[in-house]
Amino acid sequence: MSDASINSDATQVGGTGEVMIDVDGVDKFFGDFQALHDINMKVGEQEVVVVIGPSGSGKSTLIRCINRLERHDRGVITVDGVELSDDVKSIQNIRRETGMVFQSFNLFPHMTVLDNITLAPRNVRNIAKAEAEATAFELLERVKIPDQAYKYPGQLSGGQQQRVAIARSLAMRPKVILFDEPTSALDPEMIKEVLDTMKDLANEGMTMICVTHEMGFAREVADRVVFMADGEIVEVGTPEHFFTNPQEDRTKLFLSQIL
Amino acid sequence: MTGGNIATDLSRVVDGLDDPDAPPSQKLPPGEWVKKNLFSSPFNSLVTLVVGGLALLLGFFAIRWLLNNDYEILRVNVANFMVGRFPREELWRLWASGFVFLFAVSLTTGALSRSAHELAITQELPTEKESFASFVKRFWAVIAVMLFFVSFARTAPPYIGLAVAFVIPIIGREIGWRLPTPIRRQIAYIGTTLLVLSVLVIAGTSNFGGAVLGLIAFAWVSAELSRRNVASGLASMAVNLGPAVIVGLVVWFVVRSIGYEGFGWEDWGGIHITLFTAVVGITTGMPFGILLALARRSDLPVLKTASVIFIEFVRGVPLISLLLASGLLLPLFLPVDLPRPADLTLAIIVITMFSSAYIAEIVRGGLQAVPKGQTEAAQAGGMSAFNVQRLIVLPQALRAVIPAMVGQFIALFKDTSLLSIIGITEFLRVSDIANAQTDFVGRGLFGVTYLFVALGYWAFASTMSKESRRLEAKLGVGSR
Repeated sequence: MSDASINSDATQVGGTGEVMIDVDGVDKFFGDFQALHDINMKVGEQEVVVVIGPSGSGKSTLIRCINRLERHDRGVITVDGVELSDDVKSIQNIRRETGMVFQSFNLFPHMTVLDNITLAPRNVRNIAKAEAEATAFELLERVKIPDQAYKYPGQLSGGQQQRVAIARSLAMRPKVILFDEPTSALDPEMIKEVLDTMKDLANEGMTMICVTHEMGFAREVADRVVFMADGEIVEVGTPEHFFTNPQEDRTKLFLSQIL
Repeated sequence: MTGGNIATDLSRVVDGLDDPDAPPSQKLPPGEWVKKNLFSSPFNSLVTLVVGGLALLLGFFAIRWLLNNDYEILRVNVANFMVGRFPREELWRLWASGFVFLFAVSLTTGALSRSAHELAITQELPTEKESFASFVKRFWAVIAVMLFFVSFARTAPPYIGLAVAFVIPIIGREIGWRLPTPIRRQIAYIGTTLLVLSVLVIAGTSNFGGAVLGLIAFAWVSAELSRRNVASGLASMAVNLGPAVIVGLVVWFVVRSIGYEGFGWEDWGGIHITLFTAVVGITTGMPFGILLALARRSDLPVLKTASVIFIEFVRGVPLISLLLASGLLLPLFLPVDLPRPADLTLAIIVITMFSSAYIAEIVRGGLQAVPKGQTEAAQAGGMSAFNVQRLIVLPQALRAVIPAMVGQFIALFKDTSLLSIIGITEFLRVSDIANAQTDFVGRGLFGVTYLFVALGYWAFASTMSKESRRLEAKLGVGSR
């Protein structure tokens, strides 16, 4: 994609070249307010796409549409070949393959860490308890908090909670993980541990869409950076082109304000 | 290091065991405490003297009144207060029922606290088994008042019964604590079965009792099978449900064919009926209340409207009017050839309706308090709408409303006194009946009997509110 390193076309995929997520002409309204305006974007298998933009630009709304936490009003969203429709089955199928990590962790406070992680596999994938727990311990090892399994979320630090949330989404063995500003609610000294976990995931070939304000992470890990403003995709490019040679005025303004 | 530092260091050593970094002691000697809290200023001294004086005066009159009363009315009627007109030669059934009830509750709580204890150990939190002293401290009010009630009896059996009733929870708790883990996991079903049995001991093995036990057996077997065989699909559903249905039906028919005769609740009365209706009202009102709350938040307009109308209607009229309507109006709508339902049956239906409407509003408050992110996180994991409510939203909502729920339970417990107006001989009504007896009529002994009744209500209500605070504190640990 060297010749198309900077443009406003987000439909040229990286990764293995197989299209994992296809967002085609999507509009989203909240009442009269148009939150997404004709969004066209594709994400390839094993690709890491970082979405940045000022607040209110529709970044979170976009990824929340991908697993139907918000319903899009026009256009077609396809995840791993399944089209997202109003049919409950198709929604369940897509959610099963799509993990999500939230800004405010959203761990279940009334369950231990172990139960948080094993709940969905046991209930949705009907995996036996012993097997689900074995997987959970592996995942906790992977996010480097193996000794917290029997604690409640309230007993953990913010960074640890977010890593549990990542382990929880991994437990479903998803094909894609959506990150919705995963480090925005964290104290500065805890951001690194979460970003490191996300980097490990990216290096292992997980397909990821990350909404984030962490430019260092975008520069280092992203295959593509998508810049959104006012519900539109303004500019798309590889990190080095995007940060060193942005084309659009709005991108330049945004980068000058945050860098 | 300067000389001064060495001196302070030395003085700390000399001071001995006192930790110099510990906060200064807050405890005052008694004389100081009185001075600081009761007589710190002229105004405070005045308040202390006036209130103290009034309290002494009141105490004097109360004691004089208590000493000058005739308590024969309590001695004659103590059994009426406890059980109404239940046949005296069959009292063993009530004792047995009480014992089974206490055993069921203590066994269950014993098993549950063992599970909590083990979880706390894996989490490396401090935990220890509850001591005997703490048990007595929790239930001292009920124990003391029951002992007081029994002291009016003129025969030995009530004393023996009370002694057994005191020992059974201790034994039940101990057994629950020591149950092997696989059995401990089934405690909910074991406890519920025992609770139903405690009613059947009195009421006999009726068709209805058999059906309830059969339902429990069905739930138990199907839960156990689906735990072992998690595969989904119609075929495995048949494998899971088939045996459960058969077991449930067998239990039903076996129980109804036992033919153990009992006393239906036309014969019940006293504090027994008060406790029974309160417990039944709240336990049956709970599931209905939760369903109503969920319906009220539903997207389906029919469900939502129906639930709103029901809740607002029931909450909008006094309980007493519903009770009167049930006694006078409801039978008019029933087919003529149908025997008129017993008063208590109607009362329990009304009380269940009433408590479910109130519980629905309490639960709705709890549901609203659960953050939206919780639902979203569960949905994002692919869970079905039903499971999101069942496993994520409801547990958190219900935990948040325990205090309000117990408040509702206490209110309902006291509201059962209204049953007297539809002719049920509940606890408070016995007081009127006793005062109408030829020996006591017109002697102005209402004060004595009302005080007796008030003590009974207070013992249970205060214990419940204490237990709810304990439960709250327990569930709050480590969960937020």
